[in-house]
Amino acid sequence: MSLLEIKNLEIRFNTDAGVVHAVNGINLTIEEGESFGLVGETGAGKTTTALAILNLLQSPPAEIVSGEIIYKGQDILKMSKNKLREIRGEEISMIFQDPMTSLNPVMTIGEQIMEAVKYHSGKSAADAQLRMLEMLEKVRIPAERSYDYPHQFSGGMKQRVVIAEALAANPALLLADEPTTALDVTIQAQVLDMISSLQKENKTAMLLITHDLGVVAETCKRAAIMYAGEIVEIGTVEQIFDSTAHPYTKGLFNSIPSLDKKTDRLMPIRGLMPDPMDLPKGCKFAPRCPYADESCINECPPLKDLGEGHYCKCHHADKGAPLYFPDEKGNELAYEHGLPVSNPGNDFLGKGDGPNGK
Amino acid sequence: MIKYVIKRILMMIPVLIGVVIIVFTINYFSEVSPAVILAGANATAEDIAAKNAELGLDRPYLVQIGSYFYNLIFHGSMGTSYIYKQPVISMIATRMPYTLTIGIIAAAFSAVVGIVLGILGAVKQNSIFDYISTTLSIICAALPPFLVCLGLMLVFSVHLKWLPIQGINGWKSYILPIIATGLSPIAMTARMTRSSILEVIRQDYIRAARAKGVPEGVVVWKHTLKNALIPILTVVGMNFGLSMTGSVICETIFNIPGLGLLMASSISQRDFITTQGCVLVCAFIVCVMNLLTDLCYALVDPRIKAQYKNTGKSIKKRSIQKGGAAA
Repeated sequence: MSLLEIKNLEIRFNTDAGVVHAVNGINLTIEEGESFGLVGETGAGKTTTALAILNLLQSPPAEIVSGEIIYKGQDILKMSKNKLREIRGEEISMIFQDPMTSLNPVMTIGEQIMEAVKYHSGKSAADAQLRMLEMLEKVRIPAERSYDYPHQFSGGMKQRVVIAEALAANPALLLADEPTTALDVTIQAQVLDMISSLQKENKTAMLLITHDLGVVAETCKRAAIMYAGEIVEIGTVEQIFDSTAHPYTKGLFNSIPSLDKKTDRLMPIRGLMPDPMDLPKGCKFAPRCPYADESCINECPPLKDLGEGHYCKCHHADKGAPLYFPDEKGNELAYEHGLPVSNPGNDFLGKGDGPNGK
Repeated sequence: MIKYVIKRILMMIPVLIGVVIIVFTINYFSEVSPAVILAGANATAEDIAAKNAELGLDRPYLVQIGSYFYNLIFHGSMGTSYIYKQPVISMIATRMPYTLTIGIIAAAFSAVVGIVLGILGAVKQNSIFDYISTTLSIICAALPPFLVCLGLMLVFSVHLKWLPIQGINGWKSYILPIIATGLSPIAMTARMTRSSILEVIRQDYIRAARAKGVPEGVVVWKHTLKNALIPILTVVGMNFGLSMTGSVICETIFNIPGLGLLMASSISQRDFITTQGCVLVCAFIVCVMNLLTDLCYALVDPRIKAQYKNTGKSIKKRSIQKGGAAA
């Protein structure tokens, strides 16, 4: 049995302006101790999915239309408030995107870390304090600073406090929602390393939400690519990077600058993500996709099985489709600038033809 | 911190001087001189001039205001009432307890009721609790104070005969004035609490607390209320100042021998020196309440506390620099 299983989850927000379809029938599983990456542009529904796992969505406006989130055999969406409270923090915990706003400004950080332990069954205040000091040591913050308030810490230290808070109760699943986005580039790697090593030490499974494919390549075993509330491609990191199947995933790789290729221009995906209030009828990516045809516009593609746990939601998911996107004029920039025709994802795994990829 | 308090106390001095100058100037240019009232209906111009000279009101503006300040600072005297021939300070001192009792109890009562109504409204947003709390506070805010006083008097004193109509005669006499003074502050506090809590409860750190499995009661009372408290404290502090000035209407209607009644009667009798004393005391109380409110901010919010400490440091640095320059 998987640790977490999301089945056909559909979430929408009922706003005054209209119904926002944030998550549209996603399925994914996370095994015990596994690192799973959830990748997508901003607005793809990643955070909404994570909040649904903790049942923390504000309702109204959020409405979980259908689906199940099975954690250790029980549906989180059907749990009583009390049971839910016991699971939050102790079984499943979350690192929020912005450490600046996710710490309470009027409570000491020691108090806040202790809270994660204190309110769960069978823990005394003394236990909580011991655990707090232990966690502070693990994230390399001096113990005497536990009496300080969040405004006395730098951004990177605050994120370390948040990590200590999330892992204090030794949860089985950690939801890390863009844990490095709000941080300075120089400490992003440091924070990621810290999360990974603590996660491995405690055998915690992790759902890592990010828009950074590089981070996924470094940290995760399996990943899913999300677009307009749907999972368009899911598989192991190798499958996604080596044999990229979905045009959107390819587009993502193409919009990343590479150090070891001489490129004058990046090739971003044309257009914008569709308005979640007015999604296309067929494939959600069809309006931006260079391979879109009649069938893509009229009919939603099924999640195709490409073998060995690699799935892709595309009518053209067959191997061998061209990898590059034409620019506005229809020129295929990639060929003009003499780029190699190999899969761009390879560079990330160090398998490309570039100078680093031997 | 102590340096901050000293600095704030020093800053009160210009405020109080300003209040005295404004009230004195308004009175100085008043059309009816106190002497006209004192000399009686059939007084001749000479009688009035003699009275004026006796009260020292024939002196130039600057001399009068100067001597007022001189007496205030060096003799601690606020002058002698024109009408009652008593020191203003002792008149105020005998009346102060009534006003303070009503003011403090009304402010505390309105703070407690207002905060509870506000929290109920915010936590159970858009429920029946919210509507009741909102309706109650709009009613409280919309009622003019004099009407509230008369209405309460009519219902509880005249018809039900539960409470005395006027004057001070045992603890029962305080109930109606306290309710009348506290009603509109309840409304203000409740509205402010509700909106402040609603703002805080949407913050990321509240969601983070819930994600840690903190019980809902702790989320509301510890995480939310403490963060929402700053605007609430401001309103509660202001309400206390308001209840001092509001006492003019309330004490006049309920005939309570407090500061408000003294102020009202001194104005109608042109006993300007008494009016001035009363206004000065009111201004002083409002200043002290403001200071107390600001100090409470530091208790609630560690960031403000750190700021206050820095204020103290900058004074220290400046005085060191000054000392250095002098040497």
